[in-house]
Amino acid sequence: MKIIIKIAWRNIWRNKMRSLIIMFSIAIGIFSGIMLLALYKGMMRSRVKTVIYAELGHLQIHDTNFKKDFEPKFILEYGDSIVKQLLKIPEVNAIATRTITMGMLSTTTGSAGIQINGVNAKDENEVSMLDQKIIKGTLFKSAKRNEILIGNKLANKLKLEIGHKLVLTFTDTENNLVSAAFRVAAIYASDNAPLDERNVFVQQTDLNELIGTANQFHEIAIILKQDEQLDQVETHLKKIFPYQQVESWKTISPETNLMVYTVDISSYIIMAIILFALAFGIINTMLMAVLERTKEIGMMMALGMNQLRLFLLILFETFFLTIAGLPIGLLFAWAVVTYYHIYGMDWLSRGKEMMNSFGFNTTIYPEFPLEKLSMTIGFVLFTALISCIYPALKALQLKPVDALRK
Amino acid sequence: MKTVIDAHNISKTYNKENIPVYAINNVHLHIESGEFIALVGPSGSGKTTLLNLIGGLDRPDTGEILINGTSITKMKDNALIDFRLNNIGFVFQSFNLIPVLTAKENVEFIMELQGQDQQTRDNRVKILFNQIGLTDKMNNRPSQLSGGQQQRVAVARALASKPQFVLADEPTANLDTVAANNLMDIMELLNKEEEMTFVFSTHDPRVIERARRVITLVDGRIASDTSKEVSELQNAL
Repeated sequence: MKIIIKIAWRNIWRNKMRSLIIMFSIAIGIFSGIMLLALYKGMMRSRVKTVIYAELGHLQIHDTNFKKDFEPKFILEYGDSIVKQLLKIPEVNAIATRTITMGMLSTTTGSAGIQINGVNAKDENEVSMLDQKIIKGTLFKSAKRNEILIGNKLANKLKLEIGHKLVLTFTDTENNLVSAAFRVAAIYASDNAPLDERNVFVQQTDLNELIGTANQFHEIAIILKQDEQLDQVETHLKKIFPYQQVESWKTISPETNLMVYTVDISSYIIMAIILFALAFGIINTMLMAVLERTKEIGMMMALGMNQLRLFLLILFETFFLTIAGLPIGLLFAWAVVTYYHIYGMDWLSRGKEMMNSFGFNTTIYPEFPLEKLSMTIGFVLFTALISCIYPALKALQLKPVDALRK
Repeated sequence: MKTVIDAHNISKTYNKENIPVYAINNVHLHIESGEFIALVGPSGSGKTTLLNLIGGLDRPDTGEILINGTSITKMKDNALIDFRLNNIGFVFQSFNLIPVLTAKENVEFIMELQGQDQQTRDNRVKILFNQIGLTDKMNNRPSQLSGGQQQRVAVARALASKPQFVLADEPTANLDTVAANNLMDIMELLNKEEEMTFVFSTHDPRVIERARRVITLVDGRIASDTSKEVSELQNAL
């Protein structure tokens, strides 16, 4: 076996230029594949982080009927007690309570259907970083009543500025229609423009008074200390709050989870396509190598090299040729990904609006897909195996007596 | 003496424009261990075909070939390859060393395929390079050796596995007189020292005159088979 490996390794250097070209092609293929995986991973990680830390939290608790029609009467019963219990759970990092109702926002220039979120600014800042999204104005000054925070897209649509007045109309817990005037205190913009257009924030105390829920609320959003604790805490909460609806972000936002899954699958497909294309180059190189060594192969068979050893010789040659490009491609990809992971990749700034409409940040921080490294190496090895079959069959079909005559 | 090669009624035909042409026609051949045989004849007489048949590189259409009592005629391909590895040494006209291996590695190649350990290989390589007089060129690649030196390495490679016999197809055809004589000296020496049977096809009169048995082929048939000892005895008489 040692001599077969030795011959295989030295054979690939017999035509240096040809071998280097194919190795370089493989390195570029690996680099492109890894870069694409890293970009996808960065985008998905960023999207999931936005969903968790700027929109939904890791987990939410509601009354079991609330999310059917978002009717204000379905307040979260024993909310205070649930909050107290949650604060005792060591995995919980922060919680925010929200009073929620659906309504209409009207101004002199128009109106829009919205979700009104009554929040406690301090808690909300910890759970959804509300203060960091503000681009104009200041977040609720506690002394002032009926202040509202609206999204930039909605503000543009209804031509609203700081200090402008607007009217919110919604139903209270008794299903009575309630209208109240609010003044724009701040305008915010997140990475998710459609969400900004639909959500307005008011002080929880103001909304509770109008809606008639006293100190109660409809929703608890929970942020955990670590993302990995999600499944464990979700199971625990479902056990201790069996009469409430406990949901993780994956259930609340299935489209995000589906997107992560889809991108994961498509990254495998893209990698396979890249290597499939490279396989033709490898087959061509190996076929040339076999055909120009017909006499030598015939001689080795005459001397006593059996078919298994001959197949292994071609296999090792193909492996060496293929694998030699792998570390170069991986190293180069790692260096580029690491650079952009630190400094960010802002080449999508021109498509900011489009990216935001899908809930993505325009600055991407690619992440080296370490967990897909074994898959990549596996794909490369599989490509080498597939690529060696045809040249090996050609070699195995040779008859020593005919090959020696050539 | 022990019989090494025993060929009965072997024939081999090739189709030339759909007309069968006999390359070997009903040949009987009996070779004993320690013989030093030249296979001679004009081009196309069937010398190389006969070597290929008794070397197990080709199969006869009819007849049977026994090597050391084992029939190789109907052996399966992989079994035949293993049989060649352990029983037959080959020297080719154009040396055919593996270009990416050094002279030493080329000789070791056969022994590695046989699965011999490093110590055994080293000892054998040392003896063989001593015998072919190329101890100082062991680590040279074939491209760094002259034609004569390459052919000597090829002889060492053929002997490395301690085969039953060595088949050499026109071994001196690409060598100058000095190199050819040198090679013949080595083959004679190995024939005596290792009691190795050599069968070589040749046109070269320098080789023919050193053979102890000369088999002449004409049109695929053995036209004559003379032993030097017998002819010398006849001449003396």
